[in-house]
Amino acid sequence: MAKTILVVDDSASLRQVVGIALKGAGYQVVEGCDGKDALTKLDGRSVNLIISDVNMPNMDGISFVKEVKKLPNYRFTPIIMLTTESLEAKMKEAQAAGAKAWVTKPFKPDQMLAAVAKLCLP
Amino acid sequence: MNLDQAFETYVHESRDLLQQMEELLLEFSQGRSDPESVNALFRAAHTIKGSAGLFGLDGIVDFTHGVESVLDLVRDGAVPMTPDLAALLLECRDHMAGLVEAVAAGTELDDEALRTGAELQRQLGTYLGGEASAAQSPTAVVETGGSGVAGDEGYWHISVRFGRDVFRNGMDPLSFMRFLSTVGRIVAVTTLAHEIPAADEMDPESCYLGFEIGLVSAADQSTIEGVFDFVRDDCTLQILPPTSRAADYVALIEALPADEVRVGDLLVRCGAITEAQLEAALRIQGAEAAGIGDAAAQARLIGEILIAQKSVAPPVVEAALDKQKQLRDGKAQESRFIRVDADKLDRLINQIGELVIAGAGINLVAKRRGAADLLEAASVLGTLVEDVRDSALQLRMVPIGATFNRFQRVVHDVARDLNKDIALLINGGDTELDKTMVERIADPLMHLVRNAMDHGIEPTEVRVQNGKPARGTVKLNAYHDSGGIVIEVGDDGGGLKTDRIVAKAVSRGLIPEGAALTQREIHELIFEPGFSTASQINNLSGRGVGMDVVKSSVTDLRGTVEVDSREGEGTTIRIRLPLTLAIIDGFLVGVNDSVFVVPLDMVEECIEFTDAARTEARGREFVNLRGQVLPFIQIRDLFEIGGQPARRENILVVRYAGQRAGLVVDELLGEAQTVIKPLGKLFQKVRGIGGSTILGDGRVALIMDIPGLLRHVHGKATNREGASATALQ
Repeated sequence: MAKTILVVDDSASLRQVVGIALKGAGYQVVEGCDGKDALTKLDGRSVNLIISDVNMPNMDGISFVKEVKKLPNYRFTPIIMLTTESLEAKMKEAQAAGAKAWVTKPFKPDQMLAAVAKLCLP
Repeated sequence: MNLDQAFETYVHESRDLLQQMEELLLEFSQGRSDPESVNALFRAAHTIKGSAGLFGLDGIVDFTHGVESVLDLVRDGAVPMTPDLAALLLECRDHMAGLVEAVAAGTELDDEALRTGAELQRQLGTYLGGEASAAQSPTAVVETGGSGVAGDEGYWHISVRFGRDVFRNGMDPLSFMRFLSTVGRIVAVTTLAHEIPAADEMDPESCYLGFEIGLVSAADQSTIEGVFDFVRDDCTLQILPPTSRAADYVALIEALPADEVRVGDLLVRCGAITEAQLEAALRIQGAEAAGIGDAAAQARLIGEILIAQKSVAPPVVEAALDKQKQLRDGKAQESRFIRVDADKLDRLINQIGELVIAGAGINLVAKRRGAADLLEAASVLGTLVEDVRDSALQLRMVPIGATFNRFQRVVHDVARDLNKDIALLINGGDTELDKTMVERIADPLMHLVRNAMDHGIEPTEVRVQNGKPARGTVKLNAYHDSGGIVIEVGDDGGGLKTDRIVAKAVSRGLIPEGAALTQREIHELIFEPGFSTASQINNLSGRGVGMDVVKSSVTDLRGTVEVDSREGEGTTIRIRLPLTLAIIDGFLVGVNDSVFVVPLDMVEECIEFTDAARTEARGREFVNLRGQVLPFIQIRDLFEIGGQPARRENILVVRYAGQRAGLVVDELLGEAQTVIKPLGKLFQKVRGIGGSTILGDGRVALIMDIPGLLRHVHGKATNREGASATALQ
């Protein structure tokens, strides 16, 4: 069965491009437009990996990670944070919350796929 | 959904965000300011930049980066949001809008707009203290996975201990190992599990594992390190590049966990020497040290031998020896190897064979008497005999790696003779099989490897012309598959040329002209005696005595050969061999009064041959098995046994090499260990029978040759298809 990845970002175009790249590589993709929306997607379905932006309206990436770590079904799910070089402090904060993997924005689809492959090959 | 649609989304999204920025900035220019607005402003710039990067819109990324950096400072309070700054940012926003509209229309900015952009960036730079002023693109510092200078393949040693928290952090150590195998070939993995505490103290959510990994890869160090980027904080990682000096290995040995390890193993684990080198050293040691010294003397001897062979540098051995001494404190270690005459092993296995038969006899008597206590005792005995049998057979098992490694030299020499650039890749060298089998398969393998190099791999010019890497590859692979072992000899050469094979076969009179053959049947032709398509005869192969000899040697070992070839892509010859020649687990079936044995590992399932199925199959030789066609053989008819079929017949579904068939029998008699006895000369040509065995009650049962039967069934099916195809024409 194809592995499922939850992509959380407030930019619809980013979700689309990342989605196209991931689907092309053989993953299934579920989208969330911010932390709050993404939490509703963690409804018991199988999710093998979460990709989340840090900076989002409603619920930011770090609060989202903290919430995910409280969910019994999802607390072991690997999380890749999308960070910016200008946000080093945020990145540390995200790592402390339990999101150990990261990809630095701006990135090319290939770079995203390489990071995803380290945590779960399709 | 495609990228064009995504791009459209991007343009719309950017326009919305730019609109939002404009409104916010206008508020700021009137002197109003609150933290959430700054945040929203930052987020807008951040999103525009991030998505632009995905589409490769470097112009937007470069420019927006400056804006984002300034906004970041404002957010942190390092720079106040003055009306002046708001005005500048507003101008920047307009420029960004221009950039977005330009890419949306697919045009370039004019010179004036470019000058404006540069000027705006300069002004932004004054807020940043000049650090990110110019159009310096913040080149994304991202793991690219496969980058790095590709050099020659080398042996990397990776020593990794995962931290307790990796699972909790969402990391699976295995996924890193899997990813590692995309960077190179993992040739050895030792799992260190000694840190796992007793069951009641163990926390199932913690990770206690470490791995010693041998990796053959052409990647550079940063690529290999990059694999572990995400667990860098959660693990201890040491990577020894192929060029490591002795001191590096010494350091690693000292860092190794203190469990029970021998000096040789330590060195092998560290990759300082290979298993083969260690074995060679042990052999020398066995020859020299006739007397049995104490363990320390012996260990030292291994070290000395290795140094004498220049396999390892002295400091490496010394460190390993010290480590060993620490481990051994008070615990003397016995020598671990005994050399035994192979004949003695054969005798042991024969005797165990007799024991198996005798055990079956007892079981039978117990059943007949219905004595429960005797039955129980017999079944315990049965289990024990089975264990003894497995251990005894294990004694004869040797890894095929040593045989494979001999080919390194062969490939090297032959490649030079042929003036081709050919690499040999070996996989599954630790797969074990019977020693006799290893000895007898070596020659056929040699022939296949030479064939692959001579006929398979094209000359370098041709390869380059066809867009292939100049260096050809020959692969040797071994693995276990449904109770047998598979050995593959593959090449990435030109593949079998079907038209030339057919032409040659016709000219040799092997097939009639215009015969309709499947791809597979054409490939099979190369195993026919006296077949050779080489246009030149040379001293390596191509004398036409090769492939049929290969086939008959494999058949002698109760194995099969198949070819898998794609024109232009290469050929793989696959040899399937049984694990052992002596004893198998069998499944007994009865037809009338006769008992037959089917090797258990080829039995897939047993189903009842119901009246309904029989009616349905009337006149045809296949049944419907859960929606799939299952051809079957009436064993009664095949062996002309006679007698009336039982009221309730059964179908035994067997599988071999991906093909299935059903055997219709009267009775299913259950599992039994079977000692294979060869058939007399008279019976050797009988189709469908591979050997015989003696049952517990002293009767003789024939062992069915399942591969042969399957060939028979599927051959018939192909003929039928061929016939109906001809009829249609």
